Amino acid sequence: MIPLSNFLVLSALLFAIGFYGVLARRSAILILISVELMLAAVAINFIAFATYRDPKAFTGLVFALFVITVAAAEVGLALGIVLRLFRERRSANVDEASSLKW
Amino acid sequence: MTGGLVGILVMGPILVALIALYMLSRISGLQVIFYLASAVILIGALGAVLLPNLVHSALSLIATLLGVAAIYLMLLSEFLALVQILVYGGGVIILVIFGLMMTNAQDDPVVSDGSQKPFAFGVGALIAGLFVATALSASWGAADPTLIPFNVFGERLFRDFSLPIIVVAFLLDIAFTGALVNARRAEAASSGEATK
Repeated sequence: MIPLSNFLVLSALLFAIGFYGVLARRSAILILISVELMLAAVAINFIAFATYRDPKAFTGLVFALFVITVAAAEVGLALGIVLRLFRERRSANVDEASSLKW
Repeated sequence: MTGGLVGILVMGPILVALIALYMLSRISGLQVIFYLASAVILIGALGAVLLPNLVHSALSLIATLLGVAAIYLMLLSEFLALVQILVYGGGVIILVIFGLMMTNAQDDPVVSDGSQKPFAFGVGALIAGLFVATALSASWGAADPTLIPFNVFGERLFRDFSLPIIVVAFLLDIAFTGALVNARRAEAASSGEATK
C-alpha cells in the first residue's frame, strides 16, 4: 500500500502550483482555474486522511464532497461576475477592476 | 497539435522509466499507477498555470482533474471519483471554456504595475517546501484503509449528514439564482445601451 505521506506531498505540490497561479496571472478566468487546482489539492488531503486514518468516522469523505459542491457553485457564480465585468469594462483582466483600489 | 507533442515528449520517458522499474520489480503495480497519476496531475497543473494561451490552460486543467479522479480511486472512494469526473470533467470545464469564449480569450493580459511572477514563485516555493518537509518528517502511524461501498456511503450520507445536505442545497439554489440574475441584468443593460 502506498504510504500516506506520498499523497500529502502530491497535494502540497498541487496547492503550491495553484497558489503561484493565483498570484502570478492577471486573467480572471485563469485565477479561477488556479483556485480549482488549490481546491482539488485540499480535497485530496481530506480523502487521504479520511481513508487512512479514520475510515469509520466518515467525516473527511463528506467534507470532500462538500468541497466539490461548493467549488462548482463558486465557478458558476464567479464566471457570471467575470462575464458582467467583461461587459462593463471590455476586459477580463483583474488589473482593470480597480475601482475600489485606493 | 504542439500541445499533444509536448505531452507525449514529457509523459513518454516517465512512462518508460516507470515500466522499466516495474519490470525490474523495484516498485509495485500500484506505485506505477500512483506515480503516473501524480505526473499527469502535476504536469497538467503546471501547464494550466504557465501556458500563455488560456484555452490551452483550460484543456490542461482537464488532465489534472482526471488525474485527481484517479487518485480518489486509489484512495478507495469510488463515489467521489465518479462525482469528480461528472462535476469537474463535465460541468466546470464546460463552464470555464464557455467563459473563455464569451470574454476575449486573449493571451496573458498586459500587466500595468510590474510582474508579480518572482514574488509568486517565492511564495509558492515556500509553501511547497514547508508542506513537503512537514508531511515527510511527521510519523503518520499505521495505515488502515477500508473500502466504503456505495450503499453504505449513501445511507450514512443521508442519515448522519442530512442537515449539511440541506444547507448545501440552499447554497446551490442561491448561487444558481445569483448567477442567473447577474447575467440577465448585464444583458438588459447592454441591450438598453444598444437601443439608445
